[in-house]
Amino acid sequence: MSRVLVAMSGGVDSSVAAALLVEAGHEVVGVTMKTFCYSETPSHGKTCCGLDGITDAKRVASALDIPHYVFDVEEDFTRDVIDDFVDEYAQGRTPNPCVRCNGNTKFRDLMKRGRALGCDRIASGHYVRAEHTKAGTSLLRGRDHSKDQSYFLWGLPNELLPKLSFPLGELTKNEVRERARALALVTADKPESQEICFVPTGDYRDLLRRRLGAHPALEPGAIVRASGEVVGEHQGYASFTVGQRRGLGGGFPEPFFVLELRPDTREVVVGTHEELFRDEVEVGEVNWLTDAPGSGSAVTVQLRYRAPAVSATVMEDGNGLVLSLTEPQPAVTPGQSAVFFDGDRLLGGGRIVAARVSA
Amino acid sequence: MDHVYLDYAATTPVRDEVRAAMAPYLSGVFGNPSSVHRWGREAEEALEQARAELAESLGAEPSEITFVRGGTESDNLALLGWCGGQRALDETPTVAISSIEHHAVLEAVEFATRTGLARSLRIGVTPEGAIDADAIRDAVADGPTLVSVMWVNNESGMVLPLQDIAGIVKAAGATLHTDAAQAVGKVPVDVRELPVDLLSGTGHKIYAPKGTGFLFVREGTPLAPLLHGGGQERGVRPGTEDVAGAVGLATAVRLAVAERASETSRLLGLRDRLEVDLLQALDGIRVNAGEAPRAPHVLSVGLAGIEDGSALVMALDLEGIAVSGGSACASGSAKASHVMEALYGNDDPYAAVRFSLGKGTTNEHLQRAVTATVAVVTRMRDA
Repeated sequence: MSRVLVAMSGGVDSSVAAALLVEAGHEVVGVTMKTFCYSETPSHGKTCCGLDGITDAKRVASALDIPHYVFDVEEDFTRDVIDDFVDEYAQGRTPNPCVRCNGNTKFRDLMKRGRALGCDRIASGHYVRAEHTKAGTSLLRGRDHSKDQSYFLWGLPNELLPKLSFPLGELTKNEVRERARALALVTADKPESQEICFVPTGDYRDLLRRRLGAHPALEPGAIVRASGEVVGEHQGYASFTVGQRRGLGGGFPEPFFVLELRPDTREVVVGTHEELFRDEVEVGEVNWLTDAPGSGSAVTVQLRYRAPAVSATVMEDGNGLVLSLTEPQPAVTPGQSAVFFDGDRLLGGGRIVAARVSA
Repeated sequence: MDHVYLDYAATTPVRDEVRAAMAPYLSGVFGNPSSVHRWGREAEEALEQARAELAESLGAEPSEITFVRGGTESDNLALLGWCGGQRALDETPTVAISSIEHHAVLEAVEFATRTGLARSLRIGVTPEGAIDADAIRDAVADGPTLVSVMWVNNESGMVLPLQDIAGIVKAAGATLHTDAAQAVGKVPVDVRELPVDLLSGTGHKIYAPKGTGFLFVREGTPLAPLLHGGGQERGVRPGTEDVAGAVGLATAVRLAVAERASETSRLLGLRDRLEVDLLQALDGIRVNAGEAPRAPHVLSVGLAGIEDGSALVMALDLEGIAVSGGSACASGSAKASHVMEALYGNDDPYAAVRFSLGKGTTNEHLQRAVTATVAVVTRMRDA
């Protein structure tokens, strides 16, 4: 019988994932990853990744009568995820730490330690499906499209795919909650965690201030139009993301949105909704879970979590990938992920480096 | 399959004699020792009898025994209470501790330093069990100084040369504390033989309940309380006394001391067999503190080619074998232990695993542990 390692955050999803694996007759080992120094954040009960999360995961594991361990990955997580998160904001980009964690830290580490524990499979409570065939493994969007988390998994190392198991892929969130209640799991009615796990207060700027100290990203600068006309002042460009409308101050003749952050001059560029659209996207750190499409291939790409996938043409350049979008898209944001799909099938992705209006 | 518990240095079950001794004081004789009436007198009588019994086991006077709620509290009371007792002197005292102390000592001293109660010094220890005598001499050279060196190291089983240390410390007129949590019942602990001023002990390593402990305070050693309240324990540790716990602790210490010689030879036989079997079965293995004098209940081995000792402990758990890595106090801490780092440096390629033996340990248990360890280590090295 196979021994399966299941990542348990202490939330309802991974609790049910573990329960389903137990029901299916697997020998299940629960683990929670301790990702960051909890003493840095004030005590509260909102997030699933704090020590409360560890406690809840332990309680669920105990109820399921499976062993549970804590993997301390703080050092790797700080280096690969938190430092990157801070650096991205410092560079005027909007990072996606969950992508970074899944690709660089979480699953690699689970696999490595899982092997040590004699586990040949790794499971998590992500809403995504793994389709194992002779030809290889594909990842598919979760059946519940409103909860689908495949967007966050494009960075997975290819060689891990055959080892993965996602027990929630065919379920809706409501079904998961019902299963949790039926099993009387303590996490059944736990609220959804919306925040980034290492920013439980919801204000990442506290973290930036602590980590960056005095830094241009946190200092006042000009709010300008694309023309260069100064229309206001901001208190640090790290507070802004492309497409953002709030926090710009008022008094504009029409609604203004952030178009671009310019770390070199500390300028936040704003403009009208029409000015938000881009049709050329440069993508870096590309990872393909299938064969890479050649230059000139038509692809569909999702440029933001919860945005619809749109069609584009692949154009290679020297260092990476450039996408020509069939229709211009609003608020294409450096630091976010460009993720490629074929229908429900996850093909790969990369980090958005820059977005332009084609010449 | 029965699970095999080889983590007696972490904690032990309550033994039958202890439970039986405690039982009358949980509900029958339940009074508050401070009360004037019959119930209070009975409880006080039991408490003082326990104190006398414990004192006798250690060669102390009853008035030198303070009951506390465990080893960590005992260490904190010894170190911070001593610092507090020096405040009247108008001089910042020095606390010198070995580099392989338990966190209860390390963190208490760190707190004392941070809050200006004391300045602190570290005394090096070698893997052979030698302590830096010059560092101790320097530490006690001027001003009021407390030297704190554990008797038996919890992670490696190393027995520290307390007599030699006491000689240096007492010759200079300084104060000596020892954390004897792992020493009682394992080495001869007699405060008539060892001129120590403060000695910390705990119940749950010797088959008494968790939350029981004591501090020996030699007559004339100034000590300020950490807690403030109703004046119990001569004001050093206020709070209504845990009479049943005190009785259990005194019983456990008496039995541990009485059985020390016979239990030591039994455990040594088992421990040495385990050691030989592991060394024969595995390459890339080292006995931690192997050249030092060691207590009979601990075998700590270092394993090469194992990136993460905590994963080894988990893997052994899945095979039904309970052991420890470094001392694991906080939730999921997997960092290299400060003890192994102090002994072997911070780029030591060996991951530490501690097997610790006790009353329930049999040769069959150890054979199963060897089989599982070989299997798991081989798998992890291949991975």
